[in-house]
Amino acid sequence: MRKFFFISPIIVFLCIIFIFFYLLIIKNDPSELPSVLINKNAPKFETLSLLSKKKFLYEKEFNNDLKIVNFFASWCVPCSAEHKYIDQLSKEKGIKVIGINYKDDPKKALQWLDNLGNPYSDVAIDSDGDIAINWGVYGIPETFIVNYNNIIQYRLAGPITKKNYDTFYKQIIKNK
Amino acid sequence: MLIKIKLNKLFFLYILLIITNSIIASNCNAVEPEEFLKDPKQELRARNISQNVRCLICQNQSIDESSAPLAKDLRIIIRNKITEGSTDEEVYKFLTDRYGDFILLNPPFKTSTILLWILPFIFFLIAIVVLYWHNKNSKKNN
Repeated sequence: MRKFFFISPIIVFLCIIFIFFYLLIIKNDPSELPSVLINKNAPKFETLSLLSKKKFLYEKEFNNDLKIVNFFASWCVPCSAEHKYIDQLSKEKGIKVIGINYKDDPKKALQWLDNLGNPYSDVAIDSDGDIAINWGVYGIPETFIVNYNNIIQYRLAGPITKKNYDTFYKQIIKNK
Repeated sequence: MLIKIKLNKLFFLYILLIITNSIIASNCNAVEPEEFLKDPKQELRARNISQNVRCLICQNQSIDESSAPLAKDLRIIIRNKITEGSTDEEVYKFLTDRYGDFILLNPPFKTSTILLWILPFIFFLIAIVVLYWHNKNSKKNN
């Protein structure tokens, strides 16, 4: 009994270490924040379109299709890296990819799209980052899946990579 | 003897370094002068709020201390909200509606966080009970 009394704190301590290690390192990445906007309406915004130089037609873009909303900028290196995946997704039937150009020089952004190809049905200009804040974005690239009803279903903070593409794609299929 | 003196000097320098560093660090804020509000009362409210709001990029800094661009944007939004007449609660709600409770450096007391707040007290009670029980038993054995 006495022996148990001395050993028990060590056992409890080891258990706590194991739980922390499991939850913080194996299961989740604590620097990855869950979005509070999941299952909520996609925030509305009014701005200009990078492509047409006219008003960004929110109602037209956020229609009954499944939408992928991608926050990007020409100065953002991981955005270039994930671009091929965005491109790939935009070629699929029933998926609409909307770009939001975050704090960028429109000229450079257009140049960037010229170089890498334009997967976006339209690109909204977010020159001061207000749209991003309303969407709870904390670092681009960030990609949202918005369903036919304009409800946000999923948020990926950080670039789409070879590693997370399948998980991301499964989320798209689920909401198609 | 000589070595001892040298070590003493080094130690003294080391302490001096720590003190000066901490003085400099405590005066170090990321808020830039052009962000200040004209009304000192409103500015004070803005400073108070930004000290309680987490910078989502540095995560262990408040947006008051952080020079990350997002922190600056949030500081400006907070100041705009205050000049527009929002109360502190409305400003906090604006932030948590977008970024969740994580943006608050102090986690709020609610059902999902109740364990976080009361667990230390529960552990404390368990410790008292265990110690009492152990004491009683050891007295019996003696």
